[in-house]
Amino acid sequence: MTVEFDRGKAYVVDRGQPKLRAGQGMIAGLDVVIRHFFSAFTKKLETPDETSGVFTVQYPEERLAMPEAFRNFPILLFDDTTGQELCTSCFQCERICPPQVIHMTQAVDPTTGKPVPAVAEFMIEYDACMSCGLCAEVCPFDAIKMDHDFELATDDRAGMTVRKADLDRPVSYYETIAPTRWAEVKDGAYKKLQGNIKRRSGSIGLSPRAATAPKKAAPAAAKPAAGVAKPVAVKTAMPMAAPGKNMSEEKLARLLSIRAANVAKAGGAAPAEAEEVLATADTDDVAEAPAAVAAARPVSSGGIPFSADNLLGGVPANTTMAEDKVERLKSIRSGNLARRG
Amino acid sequence: MLQFLENIFGPSWIVSLIAFLISTTVILIVTPVTFMMMTWFERRIVARMQDRLGPNRVGPAGLLQAVADGVKMFTKENITPRAADKWVHLIAPLVATGPVIFLFAVIPWGYGLSPVDINVSVLFVIAVSSISAVGLMMGGWGSNNKFALLGAMRAVAQMVSYEIPAVIALLSMVLFTGTMNLNKYTELQGGLPILGNTLKDVIPDLGLGWFVFTPIGLVGFMIFFICILSEGERTPFDIPEADSEIVAGYMTEYSGMKFAVFYMGQFLFNYALSMVASIIFLGGWNFPGIPQLISIAPPIGALASAVVLGAKAWFLFFVMIWLRGAFPRLRMDQLMAFAWKFLLPLALINILSAALWLTIMLWCTGDCTQNPWVFTVGGINPLGWLGNSPVLRQLVGFVLTAIINAGAFFWLLNVNRRPAGETPADLARDQAFGTASLP
Ligand code: SF4
Ligand code: SF4
Repeated sequence: MTVEFDRGKAYVVDRGQPKLRAGQGMIAGLDVVIRHFFSAFTKKLETPDETSGVFTVQYPEERLAMPEAFRNFPILLFDDTTGQELCTSCFQCERICPPQVIHMTQAVDPTTGKPVPAVAEFMIEYDACMSCGLCAEVCPFDAIKMDHDFELATDDRAGMTVRKADLDRPVSYYETIAPTRWAEVKDGAYKKLQGNIKRRSGSIGLSPRAATAPKKAAPAAAKPAAGVAKPVAVKTAMPMAAPGKNMSEEKLARLLSIRAANVAKAGGAAPAEAEEVLATADTDDVAEAPAAVAAARPVSSGGIPFSADNLLGGVPANTTMAEDKVERLKSIRSGNLARRG
Repeated sequence: MLQFLENIFGPSWIVSLIAFLISTTVILIVTPVTFMMMTWFERRIVARMQDRLGPNRVGPAGLLQAVADGVKMFTKENITPRAADKWVHLIAPLVATGPVIFLFAVIPWGYGLSPVDINVSVLFVIAVSSISAVGLMMGGWGSNNKFALLGAMRAVAQMVSYEIPAVIALLSMVLFTGTMNLNKYTELQGGLPILGNTLKDVIPDLGLGWFVFTPIGLVGFMIFFICILSEGERTPFDIPEADSEIVAGYMTEYSGMKFAVFYMGQFLFNYALSMVASIIFLGGWNFPGIPQLISIAPPIGALASAVVLGAKAWFLFFVMIWLRGAFPRLRMDQLMAFAWKFLLPLALINILSAALWLTIMLWCTGDCTQNPWVFTVGGINPLGWLGNSPVLRQLVGFVLTAIINAGAFFWLLNVNRRPAGETPADLARDQAFGTASLP
């Protein structure tokens, strides 16, 4: 039985006689239990006001529909038709994020050298994200939204740091998971996007996903269970969206080395490539990241103490790493700094 | 088994040895499998009672869940606390579980299917089953853990307290039937409800003369069943391992297979005592049709009787699960008060009822002058009017014992409800001052 009142409704459960004689309570208890026992073989509980029937959802086979406001991890949106990302790199989400797991660099117009309202690289450390949804709340451009996909379990911790290429989802995908929420903000978001597109040039602001297959992006992403679920997809090679040097270099280099410090255990892969990765650090080709990781850390698997030094520099001084390599990395980084200077 | 082999090969020590080895092997295989099925059964049933599905992933309907659990148990680390008494800690599960498996040696599984047929199997069951209390105490003491010790002390106190009403309930049945042999109980419970075998010549053996249909048997069965709930540490008497209070009681420091052995002992204890209760009170393997089947085709009858007896024991186990699904745990003082103030007096009165029944049945039957039961009051035999008809005597006995037992039941309920020593005047004064205890 339900009782309606102005703020909603309450479910009232009939608990039978309120007053029982000695022993009656025990029998009533046995009776309730056995009725549940039999009804559980024949009935499935559909609505919460029913008081009996199996309520188990056999999870991998059956799934509950997610409420629209369900939030797991944030994703970035891009427009289906133009492939333009909604994000303008306003840094609001980065500032509000409580565990500080959002990192980004703003895109720069290669001809004028001025920043444009688009993001060059965007990175979220899913492994530390606490799913608070504040980033989506605060975004003035409705560019970052909370995804519904929660089956992200993996043994690849490095893969939990997700970059733009894997954060991007077409708007149509978000519309499938949260239609009314998107309908509320849709007009404003597109209006702002139009204004921003005017200030972007070339391929700036184009989603890497849209750049490869603008038409196919939507259907592919519309099936969340199939492809999007795997942050491991970081390793898929992406075409470069922003050629030339821009401001992201130094930052990205640092990010790479942070990741290097974090992951670090992978041994022995092509150290030579690391310098290249760092040197052309604006690349979106994240497939190189593990190599950079491997290079930035010594091969030994157990000996590095965890310290701030490790995290920030990525080059612990007291390790077995070859001194010259440390030197080279340092010079590369200072070179980058100087060029930006 | 022994009889069977001796019939074929003739008696020799080798035959005896082989016969007992086969019996032992069968018991040692059947009991763990029973235990595995019980864990599966309990989890499935209690899940349905709670509107869930229970384990259903491993094997068809989750039947292999117990195997998966076994694998888990075997691969778990075997931890012995550093401060524990190592040997006591190690041996305790065996001491707790071994006696339970001994029980299966004397409990008949069906018609002619008793591994060892001894004359005093009821006594054996009572005596051996209380040994496991030692194992529990060893586990609690050897773990060197306060929760384990508390749990063990609770377990021992509980087992000792509930042993007494259980034994007295069985004693009333022993008095009633005049035998301690579990194999004999089934024959005595043929025929019709209440009347038993007395009308054997008129009505075919329906196999329904279960003792639970007599007032003595009913009260005895209730007491015994409550006691086996308590001795097997089933809810509502799972105080020794009250997980919300003392972690897991005496099993706190046990992991892996040592824990599993404890657990197996507990479940098998429940099963063994359910078997005993089914044999003594629920007519053993009696069921309409089974006596005829046994007389026509003994092997098939034996099989069918095993199925029937097993079904009764599993039904009792189902009731245990049902109670577990329905009732919360008692408090220690409630538990003790229930055993000593209610069950024990009731069991004692039940013995008196059984004696009365026996008197009515035997008083001056047959040749009255030869009978040792001849007492006359003023030259008149007070029960002479009953004549020699067992049916009449049985009916009179039924009515009398029913009145006594029901009266005792309600009287004890009433006595227990009132706080001790409280007169109506006390109660009135307490109520006037607002300090009356709740009824
Ligand atoms: S959901 Fe919260 S923790 Fe996660 S990225 Fe957004 S703001 Fe940061
Ligand atoms: S996602 Fe939104 S809040 Fe974050 S930088 Fe982009 S536009 Fe700003």
